[in-house]
Amino acid sequence: MAFQMYMVAFDGEFSDATSRSVQHRIRECNGFTLMVMKTGVIAAFDDAMVPTVQGHPAVKLVGGVTLNPRGFAAERLQRIFAQNLSKQIEVRPEPGSPR
Amino acid sequence: MPNVGAELASVPLGKMIYDMASAIARSQVALDKASIQLVKVLAATTFDYVPDVTEVLLPNPKTIPGVHDSFGNPLVVTGVQVQTHVGDSFPLTLLQAGVNPTFYAFTNSTIEVKMSITSTQESSNTFSVGVSVTASADFLFASGSVTSHVNFTSANKYSYSVTGSSTMSTTLAPVPPPKNMMPRFFLVNAIDPAKVTVSQS
Repeated sequence: MAFQMYMVAFDGEFSDATSRSVQHRIRECNGFTLMVMKTGVIAAFDDAMVPTVQGHPAVKLVGGVTLNPRGFAAERLQRIFAQNLSKQIEVRPEPGSPR
Repeated sequence: MPNVGAELASVPLGKMIYDMASAIARSQVALDKASIQLVKVLAATTFDYVPDVTEVLLPNPKTIPGVHDSFGNPLVVTGVQVQTHVGDSFPLTLLQAGVNPTFYAFTNSTIEVKMSITSTQESSNTFSVGVSVTASADFLFASGSVTSHVNFTSANKYSYSVTGSSTMSTTLAPVPPPKNMMPRFFLVNAIDPAKVTVSQS
């Protein structure tokens, strides 16, 4: 299991329904949406799931990306990614652990 | 007798290496094309970037109605007022912001050929000799006979088998973007146009 960051580019015009549908597919693949834009989303998911995400009819391209720490807004992007990720991670207590 | 050298020489190792190298080269081209396509997508994807948000804290003294100090004056507490100034946003591409495409390269490839040659030979010979002698004698006659037999059987069994298997493996690793495939960024400071900063991911 190798989680990687991917740019998932939409095919055609942007619409809320398309964006939501693609994000739903990413969630089904146990992935996380890190940032949403009009041309696509940046998401993190297992590399074995690339064909499944690529198979969505509204997806044009899925390509691995990395965050260059020297980028103009790298720190800002990192914070955005972390904020969006924290909203999707469900933290549960381990069985038997005190509440 | 089996000729191991001839069997090994019959393995099309050269063709296997060529086929593998050819497949790797085709895959590498396809991967590079996909990454270049991704560079274009990242360069065309923009978002509104707010460079700065300025917050100014201003004094905002307030009197508390009905509350007086020991001298009978209305009690004044220091308050604060926050003035927020959001800088003008401007479009920034993901590539400028720091999102780089991942390039992949085949780092090493291995071809492993295993061959097992088995040869067995069984040989068995049986040899038996029998001699029977009969003799009779009478008053005037005497007779005798000697008979003999020889049995010889020979059996030879040969078996020869060659089994082979080959394994090809290659490693795909992410590598930094090649400089020739990434755009350069020119930062021109309009306040001091002589200062131009050139950077590349």
